[in-house]
Amino acid sequence: MSLEIESMIRYTSPINPAVFPHLTILLLGIGIFFTAWFFVYEVTSTKLSRDLFKELTLSLVAALFSGFGILFLLLWVGIYV
Amino acid sequence: MSKIKMLPAMDKLRFSFIFLLFIVIKCESVNVDTVSSDIRFKNVDRTIDISSQLVKITSKLTLENTGGTPVKNFLLAVEQFAKNNVAFVGAKDSSGKDLRLVETTVKGHDQVRFWRVDLKDAVNAGSTAIVTVETVLTKALQPYPTAITQQEDQLVKYNGNLYTYSPYLVASQKTNVIINTKSVESFSKVKPFTQQDGAIQYGPYPNTKPFSEKELVIHYRNNSPFLTVTRVERLIEVSHWGNIAVEEVIEIEHSGARLKGPFSRYDYQQDHHSGPASVRSYKTLLPASASDVYYRDTNGNISTSNMKVKKDSVELDLRPRYPLFGGWRTHYTLGYNVPSYEYLYHTGNDYLLKMRIIDHIYDDMQVDELVTKIILPEGSTSVKANLPYAVTRLPDSLHFTYLDTKGRPVISFTKKNVVENHIQDFQLRYTFPRLLMLQEPLLVVGFLYALFLCVIIYVRLDFSIHKAEHHHKD
Repeated sequence: MSLEIESMIRYTSPINPAVFPHLTILLLGIGIFFTAWFFVYEVTSTKLSRDLFKELTLSLVAALFSGFGILFLLLWVGIYV
Repeated sequence: MSKIKMLPAMDKLRFSFIFLLFIVIKCESVNVDTVSSDIRFKNVDRTIDISSQLVKITSKLTLENTGGTPVKNFLLAVEQFAKNNVAFVGAKDSSGKDLRLVETTVKGHDQVRFWRVDLKDAVNAGSTAIVTVETVLTKALQPYPTAITQQEDQLVKYNGNLYTYSPYLVASQKTNVIINTKSVESFSKVKPFTQQDGAIQYGPYPNTKPFSEKELVIHYRNNSPFLTVTRVERLIEVSHWGNIAVEEVIEIEHSGARLKGPFSRYDYQQDHHSGPASVRSYKTLLPASASDVYYRDTNGNISTSNMKVKKDSVELDLRPRYPLFGGWRTHYTLGYNVPSYEYLYHTGNDYLLKMRIIDHIYDDMQVDELVTKIILPEGSTSVKANLPYAVTRLPDSLHFTYLDTKGRPVISFTKKNVVENHIQDFQLRYTFPRLLMLQEPLLVVGFLYALFLCVIIYVRLDFSIHKAEHHHKD
């Protein structure tokens, strides 16, 4: 059963393209902060002081924010993935 | 309809069987029609516009039913000499509504191309109906002489039929040929005719027999741009992040009289009337919502172009790197973005893309080969295309670009001999689970996380040759 065009609504992006730049800067900012924290932690901690749970949490937060930040950076510059 | 509802089950079955059979026959074989002797054209008013590179024939037919039974359809015919030039045939009734046309054949007239026009309301015995038929021919104007120098005007020759080519008797007909110039070298003189500025009128001619032909030759000046798009590849990339990217790769050639002798850039720049048959620039109209327009070729951006944003369109004034003379060609890429809400509709996970198969390239354009490709988001399934006219569907393929895993489905089709009348919408339905949009960011997240895990593992590895004698103090 195919639907008619009259009963359909116009498709808009789930996120307004106008906020792509703001999202990019915010998400990528947080992402870079956590990435930096993670790497600083990795190089300063020793075998004894290392905490695997903290490492995994830091890297997960960094990856999440950087990942979405990179996506919105791509969309902002016109690479509509 | 009520009759069908009343049918018993057996008859219903038989009816559906016959209906199925009918569909099978319709799909497999070529349509065959017969010329009805009940129809005649009471009056035909024909306008042949040959002021551009195209031949645009508009005929106002007054159809009369002289038989006893109502007439539901009638036939249009195109002469043997012009049948390969036909790019578009369309018919409208008196209220301006489009009528359905089906290409068909008639026994005994294998060399003639026929179309059957289905009328909305049957024409009763003795009554008349008015139908307007539009035919567009490409490559029907021959440059004569075939080669000219830079300073010369282009002369072209039109070979046509003085009479309306019709399988029916035509009681009275008039033809008006628009040439938009006063300089006519020669033209067929069949009385009665009149020549007014920019037009030649023929007729009225009474009672012409079915399939009558008489040569109509007009040799006149025509400096309008003779540009042929030899190939255009139109790429439509749909992104569910709110954008539709359109890119057209266009190969264009000046198909008028060829340039004879040298080309002098000095003369061309000095005198504005130099090179009257050449094409300096032309206008392309884009949708009003088009943004981020680019115009480039293999060398890079072509800077000699202008963009004007108008109320209902974006007008591009494209100037190729060099003027185009007869036989010269160029190619370029034109691209732009449009927001998705202009062309994409949805309910839930069902989407419908409604866009033009081909868009305007220049006024009175003629396109030899069109290839339209539609790239859908990765993970789209059950794609169904609905096209306004017959095209050749090419096999579906996959397109790989940023953040793709298994590739985006590409729907493509092609059509030969395309003119402005083919600027019509297609509809493409597909299903796309919305959650799949998260695949792309999660791909990046997953990659980064894997990188971080590598670091976590790396710092735990010990590559030193010496075993540490004592632990570092904290």
